[in-house]
Amino acid sequence: MNQHVKNITLETTDLSRRSFLVGTAAAGLVLGYAGVPGVGEAFAAAPANFEPSVWYSISPEGLVTVTCGKADMGQHIASTMAQIVCEELGAKWSDMRVNLASNDPKFNDPVLGAQITGGSWSTMMNFEAMSRAGAAGRIALTEGAAAAMGLPPYFKDELVVRDSTVTHPKSKKSMSFADIVKSGKATKTFTPDELKAIKLKTPDQYTMIGVSVPQIDIPSKTNGTAKYGIDVMLPGMVYGAIVTPPVRFGATVKSVDDSAAKSVPGFIKAVILDDKTQTTSGWVVAVAGTYANAKKAAQALKIAYDGGPNAALSSQSLLDEAKRLQGLDDSGQFFVKDGDPAAALGTAAKVLEAEYTTSINIHAPMEPMNATAEFKGDILHIYSGNQFATRSGAIAAGAAGIDPKFVVMHQMWLGGGFGRRLDADMMVPAVQAAKAVGKPVKVIYTRENDMTMDFSRPLTYQKVKAGVDGDGKLVAISHDVVSAWPTARWGIPDFLTPSVDKKGPLDSFTVNGSDFFYTVPNHHVRAIKNEMAHNATPSGQLRSVAPGWTFWAVESMIDEIAVATGKDPAQFRISLLDGAGKNDGGAQRLRNTLLAAMGLSGYGTRQLPKGEGMGVACVSSQERATASWTACVAHVAVAPTGAVTVKKLTVATDVGTQVHPDNIRAQVEGAALWGLSLAMYEKATLKNGGIEQTNFDSYTPLRMSQMPEVAVAVIANGEKATGVGEPAVTVVAPAIGNAIFNASGARVRALPITAEAVKGAMKA
Amino acid sequence: MPTLTINGRSMSVDAANDTPLLWAIREQLQMTGTKFGCGAGLCGACTVHVNGEAVRSCQTMVGDVAGKKITTIEGLSAKGDHPLQKAWIAEQVPQCGYCQSGQIMQAASLLAKNANPTKEEVVAHMDGNLCRCMTYSRIQKAIMRAATEMRTASAAGNERRPT
Repeated sequence: MNQHVKNITLETTDLSRRSFLVGTAAAGLVLGYAGVPGVGEAFAAAPANFEPSVWYSISPEGLVTVTCGKADMGQHIASTMAQIVCEELGAKWSDMRVNLASNDPKFNDPVLGAQITGGSWSTMMNFEAMSRAGAAGRIALTEGAAAAMGLPPYFKDELVVRDSTVTHPKSKKSMSFADIVKSGKATKTFTPDELKAIKLKTPDQYTMIGVSVPQIDIPSKTNGTAKYGIDVMLPGMVYGAIVTPPVRFGATVKSVDDSAAKSVPGFIKAVILDDKTQTTSGWVVAVAGTYANAKKAAQALKIAYDGGPNAALSSQSLLDEAKRLQGLDDSGQFFVKDGDPAAALGTAAKVLEAEYTTSINIHAPMEPMNATAEFKGDILHIYSGNQFATRSGAIAAGAAGIDPKFVVMHQMWLGGGFGRRLDADMMVPAVQAAKAVGKPVKVIYTRENDMTMDFSRPLTYQKVKAGVDGDGKLVAISHDVVSAWPTARWGIPDFLTPSVDKKGPLDSFTVNGSDFFYTVPNHHVRAIKNEMAHNATPSGQLRSVAPGWTFWAVESMIDEIAVATGKDPAQFRISLLDGAGKNDGGAQRLRNTLLAAMGLSGYGTRQLPKGEGMGVACVSSQERATASWTACVAHVAVAPTGAVTVKKLTVATDVGTQVHPDNIRAQVEGAALWGLSLAMYEKATLKNGGIEQTNFDSYTPLRMSQMPEVAVAVIANGEKATGVGEPAVTVVAPAIGNAIFNASGARVRALPITAEAVKGAMKA
Repeated sequence: MPTLTINGRSMSVDAANDTPLLWAIREQLQMTGTKFGCGAGLCGACTVHVNGEAVRSCQTMVGDVAGKKITTIEGLSAKGDHPLQKAWIAEQVPQCGYCQSGQIMQAASLLAKNANPTKEEVVAHMDGNLCRCMTYSRIQKAIMRAATEMRTASAAGNERRPT
């Protein structure tokens, strides 16, 4: 997390104003932070439903249901939250259940003060709050049990809590959590100070943290019963199919002729969106009794568009504009401004200069975007798997023309998120169609809608200059990053970062990673907004966000410098990770992961056949302040045609503390394969203002037959738990690029890597 | 109004013959375990069995399967305990889980014919099923585990059979 992403303005997070509640109610034992009076109203559900918030409850049957305020998109975060609570509570794992939170602010992230899931932040930022909630419950249950057993309160230290049972070994008495809840004796409350004073377990006392317990959500995902947004069924519900213009953004509808659609059975209406939130432009939704007929009706509509200001733009236009902006001295704002690279480059013995690019990329989660909207009295109910309930609820409200406090967001399992479901575009057609037809409407994007209207990873252009002195020492890096600014699009000032040169806020989610842990005395990073790309291709946060491109440039350039100075690229990195000054701590951890990956892969221990090579990279993704230290050794074979085969990826990552080792491996492997997919197989292009790729025949994520061997080493050194969902995405592309160079002498600087580019670079 | 035989039950659906089976199953019969992914037969999320063959229900029209035996994820086993479903849990395969109904149905059609597939046969059979979470290695392991269980069970069954 960047330092600035705290206490975002939508909600206060002042825990001192909250009290922790423990008490037995009719429904069972409830534990959680009480809502802050007056704040809840701003984003609350129906006022009638406003109640003190709960992180979990224990039923009279002894079932512990944890409410997860994070979107679960396959990272099993709901199960992880339950596991953290379970550790301190002393419950039996088979008694744990999970529940997905509504957008009630009482479920806001205790650090971020909003409901947003991203940045690999969830475990890191909720570990302590969930631990304290669990511990408070254990204390309340223990004291309740002592009272119920007729033991004096000072006996409570003799009680043992384990497997949902409180036992008093001396008297051989025991009570289950269920019995304690039924007894009504668990009534302890905690002030914030008391809560803070609870002594949490030390790692040597853990019995749950570090154990790969069965994920709670998995059985429902093997028998078809897990409910995703697309599975929502409401009484009287009808369906909406959207028609999107040929231009990604900026088009307007001139006219709609629905005469042919009228002959489609069950056709109800075509609704032209009037989107004051400016999330969409030029969309029409066809509403009918079934989705199949809504689609038929959508296809039958004859719509005339004004293509708008972006209708002539292409990927080349965006790249040309990026280069023009980078060439201007006064472009952008400084993200890093250490020393004087210009002077150092002027006196350097050797200067390297290179351009790195990445293409537009599409999230394409397997569940296409969808949302169901229902107006019930004054309340707008939205059913949709979403990563940013706080903002998305406001967008839905904006689409409906009502106050956000009247919107209830019903969270669902997400059929993939990867950052795509931080956005709320799918809610706009659902809301406006529901309003227009007076019925609940489920809008489902076709895959073609989903791809062409993605809030994509932006096209990026980076220029890096590096200077080496007479002793071969790296003395300067000047790094310009030009892209659309995905996070600036949110319109939430707290998510932006003040620039070092005080030229106004910048979107650090376009440059994170460039503030690396290498010791380089003169280091500048400029964040330059490509306004043309920003308008033509509204961009989003794609799994790992900026480090997905910044490390492509940094880790490729570091390799180029090593080669230019005759050093082994891995040893060169180790020498730069000396932990001097502000890099102390992180640099050493990063060095250790690199050493682990080198060891596990056999780097440098054997002669590889001709045409094969290994390449290294190491990254501090996601952000400097929230890094999981990750290194990769890629082993590739390069054919004379330039065709690249990735034989093996070896990834080492330092996550501090492992909550669930098996899940960490699953996440790291999935992330590494995402990195491979983005490096080799995924490319979207803009032509005439529209995204050209429409389905999985033209936009082609990795398939099973393309999967290399993946080896993962997880380092858990007892530091605080860090995130694992994203960092491994970012380390793979540069490791592959560097391996290709070692295998063939071809230096590639554009993602995705193509055989043509490799072959072309071989001759150079 | 076409009548479909799904998971051993006969059900009539209020849908035109040219309606994709996927939408009839999901909306008319409200069995939502079968997923929509691409609408073009490119991802496999909507895979069901028609007369034991894995087909893409988004590309199969209702009018073409009347009278044929259709099986969805809900009908693969009585209690979600098909060897593949058990193996999927044992290997903790799903991440987001959205593609997994289709993956399991696709794999089931392989094991029904070949209870001892090679890794290459598994890859060839499964390559049309996308998993955006990239759980491919666990899918492979789960298929191999289920195949082993099915072979063991069938061998045990043979032993018990009186000669």
